[in-house]
Amino acid sequence: MKSYSSIGRQEERAAVYFILPAVTSLALFTFYPMINAFIISLKEQSLINPVSEFIGFRNYRDLLVDPKFWNSLVHSFHFAIFVIPVQTIIALSMALLVYRKRWLSGLFRTSYFLPVVIAMGVASTLFKLVYNKDYGLLNSILSTFGIPPVAFLSDPSAAMYGIMLLGMWKAAGFFMIVFIAGLNGIPADLYEAAEVDGATRMQQFFRITLPLLRRTMAFVIIITTMDAIKISGPVFIMTGGGPGDSTTTAVYFIYKMAFLQMQLGYGAAAAFLLFVIVMIISIVQLRVLKSDVEY
Amino acid sequence: MLTKKRMAMLLLAACMIVSMLAACSSGKSNNSSSSSGSEPSASKSGESPKASDSGGKKDDGKPVEIVYWRHDFKPEIDTLNKLIKTFEDANPGIKVKLVPIPYGDYETKLRTALGAGNPPDIMGIDGPNLAAYAHQDALLPLDAYMDADGDKGDIAPPVLQSLTYDGHIYAAPLNDASIGMFYNKKLFEKNGVPLPSKDPAQAWTWDQVLDAAMKINDPKNKIYGIDPAWGLGIDEGSTFVKMPFIWQGGGEILSPDGTQVKGYLDSPESRKGLEFFSSLYNVHKVAAKELPPEPFETGKVGIIVNGPWAISGIASAHPEFKLGEDWDIAPLWRDAKQVTPNGSWNMGIAKASKHPDEAWKFVNWVTGVEGAKVWYEETKNLPARLSTADAYPELTQYPMNIFVEQSSKFAHPRPVTPAYPVVTTSVSKLFVDLGAANRNLDEALTEAVNTIDKELQKYR
Repeated sequence: MKSYSSIGRQEERAAVYFILPAVTSLALFTFYPMINAFIISLKEQSLINPVSEFIGFRNYRDLLVDPKFWNSLVHSFHFAIFVIPVQTIIALSMALLVYRKRWLSGLFRTSYFLPVVIAMGVASTLFKLVYNKDYGLLNSILSTFGIPPVAFLSDPSAAMYGIMLLGMWKAAGFFMIVFIAGLNGIPADLYEAAEVDGATRMQQFFRITLPLLRRTMAFVIIITTMDAIKISGPVFIMTGGGPGDSTTTAVYFIYKMAFLQMQLGYGAAAAFLLFVIVMIISIVQLRVLKSDVEY
Repeated sequence: MLTKKRMAMLLLAACMIVSMLAACSSGKSNNSSSSSGSEPSASKSGESPKASDSGGKKDDGKPVEIVYWRHDFKPEIDTLNKLIKTFEDANPGIKVKLVPIPYGDYETKLRTALGAGNPPDIMGIDGPNLAAYAHQDALLPLDAYMDADGDKGDIAPPVLQSLTYDGHIYAAPLNDASIGMFYNKKLFEKNGVPLPSKDPAQAWTWDQVLDAAMKINDPKNKIYGIDPAWGLGIDEGSTFVKMPFIWQGGGEILSPDGTQVKGYLDSPESRKGLEFFSSLYNVHKVAAKELPPEPFETGKVGIIVNGPWAISGIASAHPEFKLGEDWDIAPLWRDAKQVTPNGSWNMGIAKASKHPDEAWKFVNWVTGVEGAKVWYEETKNLPARLSTADAYPELTQYPMNIFVEQSSKFAHPRPVTPAYPVVTTSVSKLFVDLGAANRNLDEALTEAVNTIDKELQKYR
């Protein structure tokens, strides 16, 4: 789109000036800290001492053989593998229920979206009370149905599921909105034509809705993956990484190394490894989910 | 003529330049350890404590403001506000800004500020972290100030030892600490458990405690026998009350010189303590892995550990739960040895502080001979100064006498080493792994020992 007219050139120059602030802030607040963090990860640096010694890649080598680091990655992936499909399905189901403008759909959309609006800190504190084995709301409700109590906060095998439940409850509403936008973008006459041709609702869903939602689906899955691997808010407030390290996710591990054990270099190296992993997964997902489906 | 290619080049160049600035300046931005901190100017603050004009009106008569960060605990914050008022009245040129920070966030916030190079002038330092902060050059040595007007000789020797690293004193003590067994008298009487003696020479053994806990334990009614060590969290408070189990069994965390962990933390005596702790949760099930808020005051747990600071806390939050009627204090339990933890919060001055003299003035106001008396009267924390201990007869009477005697006869400090942050998270995690996850003892011990050893190597 080379433009040799003077108006064109002016427009291009204006375009550059317009995006210069955004690029500058990106460089200042994203790239600069990232490069700084990478440099710190090459040093033996204590959190509270600006003077440090350069040790090359030793932090990375130590991390790759540290079982606690690998465990934290496993926990993050455990969370992601469970949450991505389940949360997406829940969000899509909610969207299918409310995307058409009926008389109560506004009320339902709002109430499904409400958890997204609550601050994560508030939600985690509330769920900590709800999950309490003896006094929490959850176990009271379960006991009225005769289901034995679940100890989400003190049973190492159940704790991660407690975090997943909180994460999904909190985020599903957001992706529901995304799906609503996607669903509303499918023209209604496609469904009419399908009905005329005798298609059932199930067939309409699988042959029309899903293929045309591919781009939306790609967005939802990629963003959910990135958020899921980086899950940390509920861990800080509800479980503190416990019980017995069963909810120590990768980000919580980084916090523990850098701020509790004061090993800033080690924590920064872990953060960088996590960054590389998430980036690779996102790139792979982008390739796989690329969609050429147009109607 | 700005073609697409040139636009891209321009933006790429902008990114690269900013990134290179990052790379070049990463070393320089943090050396704010100004030279003003290093000389404690013994000449100036030396002659008299009331030389307020020497530090007061610096440069153009504006009052000097010193900032003090500490963890939030209402009785202590209220006392400090009173002391600040009297200090500011006596020193018109100095203003003190007290910033209370929630306990859970305090260490993180403080460390972040130290790392960024803009710490507060005065900071609350928890005893065992002193070595780490001093080793990293974050604290101002207070030797000259202490010699001049700090009444060093009046500070109890074990406390002074906990403030000393590498031959220098790095903080001034607010108080000492000890813990005892707090028990619910009504629950004991209801279940036919004999009340423990209040004499520190007749402290209950682990077996007696277990017996009482089993009698009180009533999980169907959600009443549990004991909370042996403040639940299953991993903060410093948690380590403070968990380490005694190891010491009471006869074990140690580190070698006496603080450089070795193998052979100490994993000794058979240490294992005894760890096994007992784990059994309370997993074998006898008298300790609950999850407790509701304020379980002791609401009668849901029969035995807990706590210290003298909690006496006023419980009285103000739960006036219906009365000391002497509903609950009582007994000496901390024992096993092969009778050991209690010690060491508490102190006030340190940042090396980077721009007003070290004024900061010392305030620190001495609060922790000096007179300030310590006010501190004791208001907070009932165990005194760190001998003169305070002598000035109050109630310290020889129940309940404070239990803590005072424990502190002087059976106190054992936490390990002194710059590696302490790693030691404390590893030991805490060890206990939590055993209690909450019922992890195999050998496995958990090996992990803890290896983590601590790796960190200790850096300081050998």
